[in-house]
Amino acid sequence: MNVRVLALGDVPPRLAEAVLGGLPRPYAGGEAGQLAVAFDRCYDRTRAQVDAACLIEQVATPEPGWAVVGLTGVDLFMPALTYVFGISHLGGRRGIVSWFRLHPEETGREAAEILLRRITTEAVHELGHSLGLVHCVVADCAMHRSLWPEGVDLKRPEYCPACLEAITWSL
Amino acid sequence: MTMPVRILIVDDEQHIRNSLATWFREEGYEVGVAASGKDALAAVAREGTNILLVDIKMPGMDGLELQRRVRELAPDATIIIMTAYASVETAVEALKEGAYDYIVKPFDPEAVSRLVRKAAERYSLLAENRALRERISAASPALISSGSPAMAKVIELLDQVSPTDTSVLITGESGTGKELVAHLIHAKSARRFGAFVVENCGALAEGVLESELFGHERGAFTGAVGRHRGKVEMANEGTLFLDEIGDVPPKVQVDLLRVLQERALKRVGGNETIKVDFRLVTATHRDLEAEVAAGRFREDFYFRINVFQIKLPPLRERSDDVPLLAEHFLQQFATQMNRRISGFTPEAMAALVNYPWPGNVRELANAIERAVVLCRGNRIEPGHFPFAAPPASANMSLASVEEAHIRQVLATCSYNVAQAARELDIDRVTLYNKMKKYGIERP
Repeated sequence: MNVRVLALGDVPPRLAEAVLGGLPRPYAGGEAGQLAVAFDRCYDRTRAQVDAACLIEQVATPEPGWAVVGLTGVDLFMPALTYVFGISHLGGRRGIVSWFRLHPEETGREAAEILLRRITTEAVHELGHSLGLVHCVVADCAMHRSLWPEGVDLKRPEYCPACLEAITWSL
Repeated sequence: MTMPVRILIVDDEQHIRNSLATWFREEGYEVGVAASGKDALAAVAREGTNILLVDIKMPGMDGLELQRRVRELAPDATIIIMTAYASVETAVEALKEGAYDYIVKPFDPEAVSRLVRKAAERYSLLAENRALRERISAASPALISSGSPAMAKVIELLDQVSPTDTSVLITGESGTGKELVAHLIHAKSARRFGAFVVENCGALAEGVLESELFGHERGAFTGAVGRHRGKVEMANEGTLFLDEIGDVPPKVQVDLLRVLQERALKRVGGNETIKVDFRLVTATHRDLEAEVAAGRFREDFYFRINVFQIKLPPLRERSDDVPLLAEHFLQQFATQMNRRISGFTPEAMAALVNYPWPGNVRELANAIERAVVLCRGNRIEPGHFPFAAPPASANMSLASVEEAHIRQVLATCSYNVAQAARELDIDRVTLYNKMKKYGIERP
């Protein structure tokens, strides 16, 4: 399975390249790129957030053999929920990750490294959903649900053997 | 197998329904959606639902009315009310009428996840308790139906010890109902809302048993690809039933003794100390005092598990109970197999009463089940019982007699090779070889 990592809007393309470089098995390769999106179409003034379900509709379903994940720095919500770290179409091969709420308390180079690892882990998580995986009970599996940034640090940016087997089988 | 929890989201706003459905599907739940109270009732009636998230304000039937109607249709369903801030008072009213909880829109992801996880755990517990109750009510007459003084004593002891937290050792021959008694102790105890966890210690090698009981960490040994919680940990706040405790190797006896003393354990390959709070019930068909005397069972461990002992009498010592038990099993299996069988012929009942029942109640149940399968008339006859087969004739070879006997014992034990080997007083490998020699295969 190839992965297209897209920087949404004015996100620096080198971030997409760094995330692509950190993707684990079973992702064989892919490409990093940029996608222009209209955030204003999905912006909710009363909540001052971007509707994740609306935004993902601006990311097209990729061709067979590919999955796509978009990266953004805006604060995402779903109508019933106050915020989300990301969204995906279960089994639909497309997802989005936001790092708005993933910023660490650390500063400097260490903060950048932690943030990149968190974004990569959540990208692996959303890609897993986009290929049909649901949440996993294994605490350090990328498919374990995280509800706060430090929770992401407990995971590794890769799948546990059971999730890897499930995803490989589905491919 | 555990059934997946099914959630129904009832809200007239499509974007709320869709976003919650996405969220919970990712969690692995089965999720349905309904746009109105009427659609929700149809979904509950059609598919069954374990948890409902219900918006309190909907056109037509509102959340409160829907809750009342769902209660009539599915009394065990857990209902969570969703509300906007302005209608919190109505949500409180819903709580008074039996809603599990309410949550204000939009939800904090952590709060809604935790709330639904708790509701799912509650559903699993209810389902587990219901299964346990059904199992006990189906099997209890087999144990309790009795006029014998020995069984009356067992029932009295059960009632005395169950509400306490005392460790219980259940002894008795194979098939006397030891696991059922352990179930009853759990069901009658204050821990009945916790888990009842069973481990058969007789069937496992030392290393496997250690890992099964205490769990292991990832990489603790070859093949330990992930962290595994052991049965002791799983029994936290509940009851741990260790069957065939007499077969536990000495090293594992030491480990169990330490866990019992310290009320804490470490997983195999792990350093973390995990506190555990469970009640221990054990069972064996062996004479543990003799095992202690022979040096095969640790005396300190024996004293620790044998605080209170319940001895189940073999069926041959309560043959007066055989007719009652036979009638019970006949009714049970005839209903299960949809057969119209009115009872036993006098000869068949005499055969049942006179047979020594080395496999005890389990063997009796198996014999009746087999008879119900074979019976073509409306009454069970002696020929329907495996033990009533014609005796070997003088011109049968020794091999033929051996084959017939092995087939008979295997049938009596429902082709449980380990049990049949015990009945035949040979080891399992020998029995497997003989089955291969005579071409006997499990059905």
